[in-house]
Order: sequence, then C-alpha cells, then structure tokens
Amino acid sequence: MSSVQNEPPEQAAVSAPPRPAAERSESPTLSEQVSATLFSATSPLWIFLALVVIVAVFSVLKPSAFLSSFDIKTIFINAAVVMMLSVGMTFVIITAGIDLSVGSVLVISGVLAAKVMIAAGGGVAHAAGAGWGAILAGVAVGLIVGVAWGLINGSLIALAGLPPLIVTLGTFGMALGLADVITSGVDVAGIPTKLNSTIGSGQVGPIPWLVLIAAVVTIVCGLVLHLTRFGRYTYAIGSNPEAARRAGINVNLHLIKVYALAGLLSGLGGVLSLAYFTTTTISGHTTDNLTAIAAVVIGGTSLFGGRGTMFGTVVGVFIPVVLASGLVIMSVQSFWQQVVIGAILILAVYFDQLRRRARLRP
Amino acid sequence: MRRGRLTLLAVIAAGAVAGCGSSSSSTTSATGAAATSSASSSSSTTASSGSSSGSKSLALIQGTKADNFYVTMGCGAKSEAAKLGYSINVQGPADFSAPEQIPIVDAVTAQHPGAVLIAPTDTHALIAPMQQMKSAGIKVIQVDTTVSDPSIAVASISSNNVEGGAKAADEMAKLIGGKGSVIVMNEQAGVSTTEARIQGFLQEIKKYPGIKPLATQYVGDNPAKAAQAITAVYAAHPDLAGVFATNVLVAQGVDTGLQTAHAASKIKIIGYDADPTQVADLKSGVVEALIAQEPYQEGVDGVEAAVNALTGKPAQSTLTGLAVLTRSNLASMDQYVYKSSC
Repeated sequence: MSSVQNEPPEQAAVSAPPRPAAERSESPTLSEQVSATLFSATSPLWIFLALVVIVAVFSVLKPSAFLSSFDIKTIFINAAVVMMLSVGMTFVIITAGIDLSVGSVLVISGVLAAKVMIAAGGGVAHAAGAGWGAILAGVAVGLIVGVAWGLINGSLIALAGLPPLIVTLGTFGMALGLADVITSGVDVAGIPTKLNSTIGSGQVGPIPWLVLIAAVVTIVCGLVLHLTRFGRYTYAIGSNPEAARRAGINVNLHLIKVYALAGLLSGLGGVLSLAYFTTTTISGHTTDNLTAIAAVVIGGTSLFGGRGTMFGTVVGVFIPVVLASGLVIMSVQSFWQQVVIGAILILAVYFDQLRRRARLRP
Repeated sequence: MRRGRLTLLAVIAAGAVAGCGSSSSSTTSATGAAATSSASSSSSTTASSGSSSGSKSLALIQGTKADNFYVTMGCGAKSEAAKLGYSINVQGPADFSAPEQIPIVDAVTAQHPGAVLIAPTDTHALIAPMQQMKSAGIKVIQVDTTVSDPSIAVASISSNNVEGGAKAADEMAKLIGGKGSVIVMNEQAGVSTTEARIQGFLQEIKKYPGIKPLATQYVGDNPAKAAQAITAVYAAHPDLAGVFATNVLVAQGVDTGLQTAHAASKIKIIGYDADPTQVADLKSGVVEALIAQEPYQEGVDGVEAAVNALTGKPAQSTLTGLAVLTRSNLASMDQYVYKSSC
C-alpha cells in the first residue's frame, strides 16, 4: 500500500471506519444496543452464532463422523478455493461493486497455468514429472492472467464508467468462452504431479497446504482491509464515492486496484483448484460467483457498499461447506443446503436493510 | 451423467473382466444375513454414528441428481440394498461437476459406510478423493463412469458405449434403407463416453457402402445450437438421411431445426438414453429409435458387487445391457424406460 499517494489531511474524517449512525446521533435503548451489536456489519455476530449452532447440531447428532479429524480437514480444504474468491469479492462489494467474473477468471487462469506447466515441462508426455521451474512458471502465469482480467474489469468500470454488473457479466462470458476456445472444451490434465503432491494434497504438519495458503491470504487481506489505508479507501469509496473523491482519494485508481486484487485472488484460486483437482474443471465453476457473493453478503457486507468485515466473509464461506458435509453425513438430501443458504442469505440482506433504515431515521 | 466420462480403455477393460453378469441374489442375501450378525458385533466401535456407518451401510454417489439415468440407478441400488438388508445413502451433486461432487465424496468418507458406489464426474479429479475413501477401508465400486486409475475400485459396472454406438448405426442403416448421408450430432468434445458411442457408430456404419458419414458436429447441451447446426448441414447436404443425436436436448434441437426446414419427415433421428421425455419424443415421432441403457440394473449390480466385497467374495465387474427402442417394440421394453422417481 506504500505506493498510494500521501494521505490528504481530510482523509482521517472520511476514512474513519463506518459505524451505524444510530450509535452516534441517538441515545439508543438497551434492546437497540443489543441488536446493534448483534446485527451490525462490524460485528457479524448473529451469523457466527448461526454457524456455531449448525456445527453444534451436527456434532451432537453424528460426533464420530462429523468431528473426525478427516471431516474437519476436508471441510477446510473444500472451503479454500471459494475463500479466495470471496475474500476478493469482499473488497469489491465494499466499494458497492460486484464481480460476476471470478469463477470464469479462475477457470482461464487455471487453464493457462496448466498449459504453461505442460509446455515448460516438455509436453503432455513428460509434464507429469516436471520440476518446480515449470510449476512456478505456470503459477506465475495463472496469477498474471487473474490480475489482467481484474485490470480489464477495473478499467472498464472506473475509466469507462460502465456498471460493474454489466462489465463483469461480460468478462464472465469472455473468460469462460476463451478458456473453452483454448481447450476445445476439454479439461487440461497431466499437470506436474509435484504440484498436486505438495500444494494440492500435501500437508505442513497437520495442516494441508491448501488450507495454510488460504488462511494466510485471508488473514493478510483482512489486515489490509481493516488496518491499512488501502482498506480505508475501500470503505470510503463504498460509502460515498463523491466524498472520497473530494477528500483527495484517486477513486478510479483505487477501484482498478480493488478489481485487480479480486482478479489476482481468482487467479490464485485457479492455481489452487488446479493443484487440488489435478485438472482444470472448466465446467465446474459457473456458479462460483454467486457462491462467493452469497458468502460475502451472508457475512454482513452490505451490497450498497461501505460496510463489511473479512471475519463475516470467512463465516459466510464456511456455513454452506459445513452444511453440505453435515447433511451428507446425516444421510439427508444435500439439496437442503441450498434451501438453508437461500434463507440465511435473505435474512442477512433483511438485517442490512434494517441497519440502513435505522441510519436514515431522523 | 448418463453420458458419463468413461475412458474407452476402462470400458474395454471392464468388459474383459466382466463375467457373465451378476451372481444369483439368493446366495448374496444369505451371506448378507451372515454379515448382519458379524456387523452387529463389530459395530460397537462405531455405534455412536448409528446405522449410517459401518459394514451394513452403503452409499451411492451419483454423477448428478438432475438426471433420470442416475435417478433410475438410485432406484435399483435402493431396492437391491433393501432386499439384502443394507442401508444406503444416495447423494449426488446438482451438476455433473467434480468441484461439486468432491465435497460429497469427502463427507461420505467421513460417514464411513462399508462400501460406496460412485459415478466419478472426472477421470482425474476424483482419483485422490476416491483413494482417500479406499485408504479409509471403504470398498469402492464404480458405476457408469470411471477414473483413469484402475487400482482404486474393486469393481466397475457400466454398459458398453462402443456397442451402443454400433447398435445405433445398424438401426440407422435399417431406417434409411442403406443409403444417404448421416451425421453425428454430439454435445461436447472430450466426453469419453459419448466419444466411444461415436466411435462405435462410425466404425459400424462403414459396413454400409451406400451410407456416407459427415463430419461430427459439436453443439453443446443446447437445442438452439443443435437446430441451427442441423439446418446448415441440411442446406449443404440435401441428401442427408439420418442423424445420430447423443443426448436428449440435441435430439430435440435437431428435430426443431428439421421441422423448420420441412425435412423432419424424411430425415430419421436416433437418440441415446431413454428418459421419459425421450420416450415421449419416440412416441410422437420426433425420434425413430432410442439406444437405451439399463441404469436400474447398474444400481442392482453395483450393490451386489459391494455386498460381495464386504462379505469377502469376489466383486464382479459387469457390463449391463443395451436395447434399441422403437415405436413398434416400446410396449414390451418397459424395463428400459428410465424413471424420474422410484
């Protein structure tokens, strides 16, 4: 974040972490205080409690299976890739934007990373035994491709002034279409086995590499969001872009950076996905964007921008993954997961609306 | 998915090891009963997780729930499991995709049933999760599709897709009187099961010198694209006499396209699989014939193989049957029509 220009004096006022106006301008009753704490964006406690309840129910009903170290590990692994998309999506939605392209950017990053690994590893016949040189080249290409798509999104949104929904809907189709063009729709397999045996399925002590990488990235991005100027600018732009502009923030540049970050994380998701699945799973990511948006919104981030937390997003990612695993273990139709997630999503947005109304009250 | 992603090799390998089908159910149920008593004594260690884990329980992981092929397979597996005194947990992803299927595979492994029937959605991506399943001591049986590593599953149950394609070719030759151009309309490239069907079709069609096969068209799972493509093909080849459509949506799109071109009556369409929509299409004349698999039998054979594996008997890979459904024989072919619910 050191590359950002010097902080203007007005910045402090603009970039103060947003708080519900009710806390400042009114003398709230006790119940209002309680609900403000429970339902405020800066403390997505109710949704965390929901996760705790879900975990508790499964733990009581099926302790030996649900609480097995194997199941806990696979829950974390299965959350890792979506977590990367959701972390990027958190920044985007806090700017009051949206990024529908994340799943497609993940796919094309994975496809190009795989192609590069195979080419650098000496072709399809030899790539399985390729060393770290080929792998790193592929990883680098995957990340660069992700950033590039993010820059395209950000530039079109910030500079051409197009709506994020339309721009990223367009790049959603373009990225997936190009991935299909490059591969003729056939998944690219035969990537170096070293990539899978380390990042894809290896462990550092008891912790899988996938989980470790996802955790570090999430924590770093959480710190960036909540503690740095980059994060404060993100909130400020989401709250009121005009005020942010007048306060001296280069709004356009910052938006481009935010979408580039989301692209970078999608590219990382593509590389992790490639390492985990050992193939590109082209057709498997068309609803990743909605999964990530749901996770972020369930986590208490407002679609209207300006408020949200990384912790909430983490909880929002885990709820569907935990539900999916627990319901299968209970021999319940796993489709109930979608029903429950849908209900929780609507509830989350309802609470967000309550907050907004409370803030707008005279 | 019914079209699955089998590697051709695996099909042939499965065919080679396949005996003459499933063993008699009376002996299996006898050993099933024996297993009941042994399981009840050994299940004390896993008692807390109830009836869903341990050697008396099975699971079926479908390729996707949204497909009558797998629904029918689930019906067969449930009925056979109930007959043998086993519980079965039937689960499947909403779409035919590895990222959606793998969390289900992991959760089933955590649940730890005795044996699992699985239709892997990807030949590579499912290897590691299925390997974990095997390492956990669970017997793995592949149904319909397979992964590229043949060492994981104790048995594989499927139909022979090359033969299915060949049957379609023979039926086509009969329908069009042995002359004219024919074309294969396929969903997408690289799905090895449908590729095997096409290979079988094109090989067999060579036996009919009057028939000229055109280049295969790939139109995705999309009736609109199929309609567009077939009108273009018909414009270029007015002698077009027959179309082999590899799935239901493609067949419907082809018919729409041919209707627009006023050629529907003279061009014969053969479809693959027999879910209720397709059978309705057969009755109403949209298609002339259907190549039907036996997903119900795949479920039954899968459960039998699982129970054999659990009771220490050899688990046999089997090839299930194929049938050509036409309007004239449909009445007698009830068992081949897929179900939308049990």
